[in-house]
Amino acid sequence: MMLERDVVQQKGFRNLVDENGNIWGFQVCIRQKVYRGTWLSQFRFDHLAVDGVKYGPEDCTFTISGIEYTYAEMGKYDRVMWPIDEMCFIKVKKPGGLETGAHKVHVNYWEVRSYLPPESTARNKDQNEINPAMTSELIIV
Amino acid sequence: MEKTLKPGIHRGVSTYCWYQELYWDMDLEDMFMHMQDIGAHGLEILADGIIKGYPNPTNDWLDKWFGLVEKYDIVPVEYGHWVESRMFPDRDYTTEEAFEMLVHDIKLASFMGFTCMRTKLGVIDGDLNPVPNWREFIKMALPYAEKYNVVMQPEVHSPTKLTSRMVQDYCEFIDKEQTKYFGFNIDFGVFQTKAFEDPERVGGRRRPMDPSKPEDIIPLLPYVHACHAKYYNMDENFDETTIPYVEVVNIMKEQGWNGWLLSEYEGPYKKVPGYSTTQVRRHHVMLKRLLGE
Repeated sequence: MMLERDVVQQKGFRNLVDENGNIWGFQVCIRQKVYRGTWLSQFRFDHLAVDGVKYGPEDCTFTISGIEYTYAEMGKYDRVMWPIDEMCFIKVKKPGGLETGAHKVHVNYWEVRSYLPPESTARNKDQNEINPAMTSELIIV
Repeated sequence: MEKTLKPGIHRGVSTYCWYQELYWDMDLEDMFMHMQDIGAHGLEILADGIIKGYPNPTNDWLDKWFGLVEKYDIVPVEYGHWVESRMFPDRDYTTEEAFEMLVHDIKLASFMGFTCMRTKLGVIDGDLNPVPNWREFIKMALPYAEKYNVVMQPEVHSPTKLTSRMVQDYCEFIDKEQTKYFGFNIDFGVFQTKAFEDPERVGGRRRPMDPSKPEDIIPLLPYVHACHAKYYNMDENFDETTIPYVEVVNIMKEQGWNGWLLSEYEGPYKKVPGYSTTQVRRHHVMLKRLLGE
């Protein structure tokens, strides 16, 4: 499977259905925006927003190389890497899912980088809010 | 590298040059073919982006690695890795944990044939001063570096100056330990004297930050095994427009330095397919000219 260029990937964008056929949420896939992989414990996630509605870490799980993690669980895995050439599948709890049609999907995540000044990591959250690369228009069918 | 090559300055390339293409338009083998084309046999990898399954690759992947290295006459020179410090949400890595991470990379780098490592240390401030316990975990790792025969090299990178206290500390540590297995990589960005246009940056330009003088490198050369030959803009006359390459390389030649210049393109348009390749090839036309190849 190949990555798309944009941070927020078009593939994987869909509603999620349980065994009884009920839509319980939706999925968004992202890639890394830096030149290296990320240790799971250095992954930071503020929120994902769809059409301005925010979903925080408690509303989401993160699946990397086949393993689904809560945000709190990721913070414990210092020697497991989100590889640079793989997507992270974000599953968002939202009963009923998203409506068919176009949606503006924004994701605000970053990675702690020990080799850069601590203050540069702290700026990531605000920079992501105004960085057009962190938002894409995607379509639910 | 000393075992197999004549003394002198050798050319290589870092995978960093193509990180915006390596997962879309090209793979490692494509990069190796470019290196063969341009006669730059030395390789720097960024371990976590290149080694599939890092930090625990499969034997199958390693077999493919050795096959490609042999096929394209690649010399694995520098293994780029990081010793993390700010690792957990609620606490930093201990000295022991940093040491364990470092030794794992020493073993893997050695197995893959690398002779040195770009050992990126955690920093504590905007001047890029390293974490206070760096001497401890480096000293603990020295016997492993010696056993596995790889040199650990932190990177001296802009805005750090070559005359800074930090660089003096590295030299004093090396002299005190009398080791050949710790040195540093000088990134040529420290010599940047001119700005360049970069539409991807705020303000559209990247300006120099208090550059070091080319001659500042002279007392440091005995500690340096490989440099990041950084460039931001190779023009169509095969000149780098922002860094005084002629002066720096001439000094290194005059001083009789032996080691690797690892080409590291860090200018704009890396996402434009082929742009980085043109920059790399222009860079090596220049390096060949400067080195008298």
